[in-house]
Amino acid sequence: MPLLSRMWASRRALTLVEAFRRADRFRREGRLPEAMAMVGYGLGLDPDNITGHLLAAYLHAAGRAMAPAKAEFQWVLGRDPHHARALLGLARIALEEGQPTGCRELLGRALRFYPEFPEAQALLGAVTALAAPAPPAVAPVTLDRLRLPDHGRSLVVARHDGALVGTGDGDDDEATRAAALARILVVAAAALTRGGFGAVRRAIVEDREEAVFARTDGAMLVALTLPRTTAITQGLLEVNRLWAGVRQVDAPASSSAPGTAATTAPESASDRRAS
Amino acid sequence: MTPSRLVQSPAPRLTLSLESETGARGRHVCDVVERLVDLHLVRGAMIVAPDGFVIAAQLPPALAVEPLAALAATLGRELEINAARLGGTPFQTALFSADDGTLCLGTTRIGFVVVLAEPHANLHTIRAAVRDAVARIEAVWQEAAPPPA
Repeated sequence: MPLLSRMWASRRALTLVEAFRRADRFRREGRLPEAMAMVGYGLGLDPDNITGHLLAAYLHAAGRAMAPAKAEFQWVLGRDPHHARALLGLARIALEEGQPTGCRELLGRALRFYPEFPEAQALLGAVTALAAPAPPAVAPVTLDRLRLPDHGRSLVVARHDGALVGTGDGDDDEATRAAALARILVVAAAALTRGGFGAVRRAIVEDREEAVFARTDGAMLVALTLPRTTAITQGLLEVNRLWAGVRQVDAPASSSAPGTAATTAPESASDRRAS
Repeated sequence: MTPSRLVQSPAPRLTLSLESETGARGRHVCDVVERLVDLHLVRGAMIVAPDGFVIAAQLPPALAVEPLAALAATLGRELEINAARLGGTPFQTALFSADDGTLCLGTTRIGFVVVLAEPHANLHTIRAAVRDAVARIEAVWQEAAPPPA
């Protein structure tokens, strides 16, 4: 745009379209406060504008403020019950709130109107696995034969759905940890599959202090919590050792209790490489 | 009404949302993604907002950007939400491996840095690069943030 035109444009008030265009531009640059200010300005001009409320919902979600995002998505759906983007937004929030069934219903509504909606299709794959009814839980056992490394804090052996099968002698919050990790692995599996990589085999999740090293075959998972400073190779070696140990522990039981670790698949090529 | 972003992955080029914009932060996210993709055995990289919006992406043409971004954002949010249940402190990075590749994800204030790598990629290098990308984004956004009132 020529300089004089730009100067002239900067001196007059923005139109609704210009405000939302700027909001979108700021959003695309990760400048959420500026984007929200533009949306607020636009909604001041037209308080019932669906695009403005949808943008506001996106911006709240991008800022991890899910309650106001949910309210905005619901506002949009109040005006347009078939709005696919609003349905997808609400579905993602439902998933975060631990309601996979509700999430699946919302995605189903979106796909009923737009069967080729790629994001909704992708998310539905992950959610279907999360919403599947879990088989009856089993009483977790302490795996005495599995020695936790000296610097390890927690050992979790669980089914793919997060139901605890066995624990080490470390922390006492393994059931919570197992459920959380199982949820994460389901979504990770969907992302890896979408990326063309196949089924998830290993995971390393690190926070500021610790790293969780996990192995899974889709039927069960073994997770070991170690200090964050642990080298990747060392952590994977430790979890591979425990994985092998769990399979040994489970092997005698597998003849009488099929369906637990008896479903363990043979070691994959990537697992052998990690070892 | 149609979903506004029902688009498939374009040609293998840098898809920066601010293609017509030359803002410093726009160039910065572009640079972060390019550096990641330059790593040995990295197939692609992107920066995705927590709502699934693609801020910048460079992926192989066979991969549809939007569905992968939706799943990456969902995964990032799951990691953030479950951090307290997993370890207790905020989630930093995560690495997921399959037989045919690895996905690495790091969290920043603007969203998630995502790297897709070949199965033989060096995991130490990938994770370090993601940590570095996160630090670079945080530094720029911290610098640009208005001072507290």
